Formats: sequence, C-alpha cells, structure tokens
Amino acid sequence: MSQPAPAPEPRPATPDGARARDLLARKWTYLLSGVAPTALTKDELESALRAQLDALCSALTADRFDAAAVERIGEHVVATGYVGEDGLRRTVDVLGRGLPALPEFRSGHAHRVALGIGALATGFLTANRRAVFEQQERLQLSLLKSVRDAKWHLKESEARFDEVVTSSASGVAIADLDGRLVRTNDAIGDILGRTAEELTGASLFDFVHPYTVGMLREAMRAVVEGRQDRVRQSQRLLRADGDVARISLTASLVGDAGASSHFVVVVEDGTELMLLQNELNRQALHDVLTGLPNRQFFGTHLESAVRRADPVHGLVLLHLDLDAFGLLCDSLGRRAGERLLVHVARRLKSVVAREKAMVARFDGDEFGVLVESTAGTPDIATIVAAVNQELAEPLYVDGRGVAPSASIGVVRGGRDDDPVELLRAADQALRRARTRRRGQWEVFDPVHDLAERSRQELAIGMPGAWERGEITARYRPVVRLADGGAGGVEAVLRWDRPDGPVGHERCVRLAEKTGFVLPLGEWLLGVAGGQVAWWRRNGFTSPLTAALTAHQACDADLVPRVVRALDGCGLAADELVLGFPARVVTTSEAVDNLGVLAEMGVRIAVEDFALGPDDFAAARDVGAHAIRVAARWADLGTGVDAGYAAALTAALRDTGATVSVSGVTTAAQAQWWRRAGAHLATGPFFGADAPAGDFRATPGE
Amino acid sequence: MMPSIEGVFAVVQTEWIPPSVDISVPSMARTYDFLLGGAHNFAVDRALAEQVERVMPDARSAARVNRAFLGRVVRHMIGQGVTQFLDIGSGIPTVANVHEVAQAVDPRCRVVYVDKDPIAVAHSELMLADNDHAAIVHADMRDPAAILGHPETRRLIDFDQPVGLLVLMMLHWVPDEADPWGLMATYRDALAPGSHLAITHVTADQQDERLTDVTDLIKDSRSADQLTERSHDQVLALFGDFELVEPGLVGCAAWRPGGPGDISDTPEMNMVIYGGVARKP
Repeated sequence: MSQPAPAPEPRPATPDGARARDLLARKWTYLLSGVAPTALTKDELESALRAQLDALCSALTADRFDAAAVERIGEHVVATGYVGEDGLRRTVDVLGRGLPALPEFRSGHAHRVALGIGALATGFLTANRRAVFEQQERLQLSLLKSVRDAKWHLKESEARFDEVVTSSASGVAIADLDGRLVRTNDAIGDILGRTAEELTGASLFDFVHPYTVGMLREAMRAVVEGRQDRVRQSQRLLRADGDVARISLTASLVGDAGASSHFVVVVEDGTELMLLQNELNRQALHDVLTGLPNRQFFGTHLESAVRRADPVHGLVLLHLDLDAFGLLCDSLGRRAGERLLVHVARRLKSVVAREKAMVARFDGDEFGVLVESTAGTPDIATIVAAVNQELAEPLYVDGRGVAPSASIGVVRGGRDDDPVELLRAADQALRRARTRRRGQWEVFDPVHDLAERSRQELAIGMPGAWERGEITARYRPVVRLADGGAGGVEAVLRWDRPDGPVGHERCVRLAEKTGFVLPLGEWLLGVAGGQVAWWRRNGFTSPLTAALTAHQACDADLVPRVVRALDGCGLAADELVLGFPARVVTTSEAVDNLGVLAEMGVRIAVEDFALGPDDFAAARDVGAHAIRVAARWADLGTGVDAGYAAALTAALRDTGATVSVSGVTTAAQAQWWRRAGAHLATGPFFGADAPAGDFRATPGE
Repeated sequence: MMPSIEGVFAVVQTEWIPPSVDISVPSMARTYDFLLGGAHNFAVDRALAEQVERVMPDARSAARVNRAFLGRVVRHMIGQGVTQFLDIGSGIPTVANVHEVAQAVDPRCRVVYVDKDPIAVAHSELMLADNDHAAIVHADMRDPAAILGHPETRRLIDFDQPVGLLVLMMLHWVPDEADPWGLMATYRDALAPGSHLAITHVTADQQDERLTDVTDLIKDSRSADQLTERSHDQVLALFGDFELVEPGLVGCAAWRPGGPGDISDTPEMNMVIYGGVARKP
C-alpha cells in the first residue's frame, strides 16, 4: 500500500462509544490478569488499561499517526507487572478483534488499527527487553554483592582468628557475648580434654570451676558494658577427666567498630606450653581428618627414605585414588565421605602394618603409601591385592554398605632416584591406571612415560600449529571395489612438522586428547565441503565422507557445527557421509545427534566397525547407511578368521548398508574384500592422502 | 620447625562461603521468579523450572495464583488494621511483593523481609536501599530468636501492635525433623492479639503424581532445599489456636478470589497449594 490511509474521523467518545471501550478494557484486563502477575488489583489494572485504551484510540484517530506515542502505550502495559510473551499475545489478540469493532473504527480503518497494534507491540518488546536486562543486571549485582559480603565475613573472621593465634601458641576460642563457644582450636581442646565438637555450642562457663566462675562472668559482663577493656584472670578449668587445670585466661572483644559481637578467649598453660607446641607441629604435618601425615610430610619422609634405601630391595611408592568418591559424596553426603576416608586410612595402615611404611593422605580422596622394602617385603602384586582386599570389606554408612575400589599407580625406586620425580611417576602411573578401568593398578614404565610426555606436548601444540597453517586438509580416495571407480572422498588431516609429517589418524588421536578436535573437525568439514562442491562442477558426483571421533560424535554442538559447515560450503546434507565410532554410536548423546542429522538428510556411517556381534547390533539399531570396517581388520581375509569375516560381511550387506573397508594396503586385501562382498574401500593401496590439487576427483582423468 | 596456623584453621573453619552462593545449584527463590515470568534467575534455575514445567505443564499458573494470594492477603490484613508485616521466606523480591502492595494502599506500612539465601538477601538490600519502611534480615526461619530479635526487625516492627506474619511457600521446605509446628508456635507467641498469620503450603492431598515427579526433580537437582508436602490437618496445625477467617484453609485460588488473575485454568493448580489466614484472638 503506497498511499497512507486517511485518518478516521476524530470522533468524541459517545456514551455508546464509552461503553464499548469499557467493555473492551474489561476483556483486556480479564485476559491479561490470567497470565501476568501484577501488584495491581483487578480494578486498578482495569482502570490502568482503560486509560491506555483511551490514549490508543486518540492516537489512532489523530490526523497524523504518531508511532512513538503508541509505542509508549506498549511500555505502560509492560509496567503493569510481569506481562511477558503470553501477555503480549493476549493483548494483540484482544485489541486486534476489539478495536475494529469500536464505533470509531467501524467505518473501515483497518490499516490504522494494524499500524497501531504493530507500534504497540514494538513499544512492548522494547520495554520488555529493557526490563529483562535490568533484572538480569540487578541479579548479577546481587550475586557479586553476596559473594563480596561472604568474602568480607571470611576476611573479618580470619583476621580475628589470625591476630590471636599467631601471637600465641595457646588455647584459643571464640565465644559469643553470652559465653557460648563458637570456635575453638585443638590446643584448648587438649587443655580441657575435649574435642572441638564437644566444645562448640557449649558455654565457656560450664568448663570453669564453680568456685571461680562467678568472677569470670562478672568480668566478662563488665567488658560487654564497656566498664573494662579486657579480662585477665588466673582461672581453674574443669577437665573431662575430672582434673582441674590451672591456667591464665584473657578475653577481649572483637568486631566492627562500635558493634562488638564476640570474645576472643586465650588460655595459657605454662606446663602445657611444650605439649601445645608439639601439637601445633603435628597439625602442620598431618591431615586433620584422618590423622595421617599430609603430602608435605610424606614428601620430606620420602627424601630421607630414598637416601637410606636398601641397595638391593629399594622402595615402593603407591599412589591411590578412590574410584567414584565424588559420586559417593553426592549421594550419601559429605559426612559419609569423610567417614569413608577415615576408614580407608585405617585399612591402608593395617595393610602395611608389618612393613616399614608410611601411609599419607594427599588431597581429597588420594592417598600415598611408601614401603621401604626389605627381603621379607611381598612383591608389588601382593601388596596391591592386599590393598584391594582390605578395601573390599564394606563400611556401613546409614545402613548402606560402601566398599570403594581404588585405582593405584605404583613405582619402584632406589637410592639414585629423585624423590620429586618418583612422586610424579607414581601420579602418572595412577592416571594411566585410571584411564583403563576402575580398580586397576599400573606400574610406572619409563618408556611409556616418555612417549606419554611427548604425546602431551604434541597435543598441546596443536592449536598453535593450526593457527600457523601447519595443519591442512587432505583428500583420501574412497574406491568402488567392484570396478575401481571413485566411490567418494574422505576428508582427512595432515600436520607438517619440522621432524616429519603427522598423518590423519595420529592427528585425530592427539586432538581428541585435548578436545581441540571439536573446532578442528568443524573446520575440516567446511574446507573439504567447499572443495567437494567445487569438484561437483567438474562432474565429481560421489559423496564426502568424514569420520568423527568419540568426542565429536557425542558433542552437544555437533548438529549446529555440521549445519554451519554445510551452509558455508553449499554442499547438500545428503552429499555428506558422517561416520560415528561403533563404540559410542549407541550412547544417548550420539543417538540424539545422529537422529537429527539423519532427519536433515545426512548419511550416517558406523565407523571403526569391529565385526563383533555388539557392533553388528549397534549398526542395525541406528539404521546406518554405511558400515566402515576398522583398519585393523583389513588383513582379516588372509587369517584364520576369513570364513567368519566373510559371513559377517554378507550379513552386513543384508542390512542394506554400504560396506566399506578402511586401511587396505595390498591388492590381495582389496581382492579378498571384493569377493567377500564389500562395496567400498580406502587405504594406502589406493593412493596417499593428497592435497586438493593432486586429488583425482573425476575417474578416468 | 615453626608451628603453622594452617593446622589450627583446618579444624575451625567451617561454612565460610555459604553454599547457596554456588550458582551451579538451582535456588528455589530464583526458580519461582522464572515461573512467574521474571528474569531474576540463572540458567541452572531456568533449567530446573523447565523440567518442572515438563512434568507439570501449568506450574506457572500455580506460581501466579500463589502470588495473587499474597496480594489479596496483604490487602485483607490492612483492611483489618495491620500496618506492619513480617514476611519470612520472602525470596527474590519479584513482582507484586509485600511492600509494593502494602505501601500502595498505605505508604506508612512497614515490612521486614527474611530470607536465608544470600543472593536473595543481597538483591533485597539493593532494592530496598531507598525504602526507610522496609528491610531485609538475613536469617534462617529455624532460628526465631535471630529473626525476632534482629535490630532491623526491632526498628520496624512494634510487637505490641498487630503484625501481619506471612509464611508463604516456605514451610514445605522445612522438614518434620526441624519441627515446623514448634517453630510456628514460637512465632505466634511473639505476636500481639489482632495479629494475622497467612500460610501457603504445598500439599499432596490431591494425590497428583506429577507433584511426586516435581519433588523428585528437586531432590535430583542438588538444591539444598527439599520439598515436604503436608496434609490439610498438618497444615491446619501450623495455625495453632489462631482463628481462621473465612473460607478457612483451602486451595489458595479459592481463598476469596477477586478476578481471573486469582485462579488457574487448570483446576489441579488451584488445589496444589493450600492457603489460609488466621487471626490471633
């Protein structure tokens, strides 16, 4: 419509017109209040909406249509409460029907009404968005504030405690103004012969001798009332064993200026001073929960143990980690977790009770065991078996038996070893044991370790190498076994390093380690997709194949990544074959991904197929278009399992899937698989991974 | 070796950082705000709300109906001469909160909010910074002495005059072991005659299995708050010897509804939360 609509007659609201507006406002109120929480009563809301309706009508009947004025009406509607999308929907609905029915608009001003509702919705959305931003911003502020407040309390408390404890090696307690103990240190516990649990919440006065308690109460009251600065008394405290401890007691107030909330009570016992000192030493070197030496102590002890190690038998270092400890804490609670740790500590001590050994608690659920071997020390396998056996006996927590298994890294050391290196090696072995299966143990293997370290360095260097253009896309021919023609192309990676190129399979393994495979895979798909789209113009008709790693297959963002890559290169979804590794293809994440992708038209392949019955069932269950037999089975036809493989291949063909074999290296292998009934193959036999320019995209070229 | 104080600290330091500042755990207050249509929430809260909506598609209307109940109750209490309110478990001060409703009727109304969620408290402090007649107290309802004796409570509320005590969508987070009946008795005892008490409480009396699903969702969410539904009699007992005003303890939508905003189109949502108001004789 190019001509602006003529303005409707600005008609004063007749009594009839006023009634019609009343009715419309009431209907609007009715619908809006059914979805929008508001602070207004029904009558208040109705009169607010009635006013907005009047404003709307006069804007619509004005000579010139003023969109900004109508947008402001939308803002007013938002301000009535949490109106939201439902409120907008109902507003548009009720006005869209109601306005044209008002007497003012009956003579056909549909265009004005439509403009008006549009402007109202615009104003509504703007205001609503602003409200959401403001609320989110306020919430963020609240979050910051609450964290800051908490930190501030932390600082205040720390400072409070720090001040007193550093200046004295004595018993220290924090008590509230009524003498109720809020916190105590172990030293005061030792003086009284009680645990911190027993003391916390109890009244300080309960531990003071009846003859002298009145004196202490009076002095503390005087301090609270400001008549006295601090309490300093010789006092007699009651020990749990009935003895009386003669001590000197100091109490002073702490807190913000003018608002003291707590006493710090310091208890000094001359005769106990040395013992206290020892206790503090012990605490610095021991884990409080289990009473075991901590990592620092263990490290120092290891240093001297290495120096004095038996030249023949050496020593054995075990690094243990409880399996699924986090899960256990989540389900049974932190206290149950703590009990379990204490229990494990005891068991470990009993395992090595006959040896010259130290058991320590590292962090969290990790423990260290050092055995200084002698002729009578059992071998590593026996020690590990004993540990597992001890731990297998369940601990009962809330009536439920819990028997944790542990993963164990083991390293054997001698006089020539560096203690720090030993700890690192044990940790390394532990991590390897953990990646295999729970309840495993692994002896440190220096060759393995070296390889592992260089692998890690390589993996970490990948993103940088990619940035520098050292990692490029290569194209691997997919060949039809029947006639040797082009059956497709597989997108692969290559990394050119100064010490020689790194091939696709290794690149993928490395990138999988760090998760870098996710962006890298998306990039590869985009680049190769673009290349194949280009080849299309030269008569290349076969699909592009890309194998996913386990990580990629289960990536929650896989679908958008594929969509982005396809959109970017202009390749249709059904021109892409995506391979999901057989071992993850039935996990729920992968199933979700491949379901959506298959719906889009992407062809799904099961990758790394191992010819076992589980893989077979998986391929059938997900309805794969193609099955790619793992490269390690390429040579199967020449072995004793040839009959089995041939039968399975036939069964695979029967599912209707295209059967493809990876890693074919010889003519004999190619021929065997052709006879067995496989459709397609890839591998060095059909040519090396080639850069785009060298790839023979069209057969017969 | 020098003694270190770290060992001492390991013994005494507990709850320095309140776990509820952990925003990887959903908060009931923020989830409720999302259900009302607000944006005072984090992704984790919205995720929980969406799960709740999946098993109970009209959960939003239950939240809205409870909010509308609050408005009616505050206006009713003001009509009975109450001008001071204690709102325990106030949560995020979202739309149509007590001071907004009350001060719109009578600007002299004074309101003390109480919540234990540090984020809700910080939010309320920001929001009430310019309001002399309203304040927030950071406390757990299980500690009546801390709430009733707090300087802000004492500043704003005169316990010799009638008080409107609001304990809405709160007591089902208090398990039986914490003795909600004993707690409520303590609060009731602190009030002057003529005071009013309003309670809303989730019930399983309708034997709606969707509610069980919601309870399970909350249980699985790692939230510190866990839901305890209670029967009509159990909720009734929370009012003690206060006299219930008409129509008694009913589905909160059925408590003197005044318009379509006060009820849900889904009948079950009108019954899943009990609401009632009682007066101290």
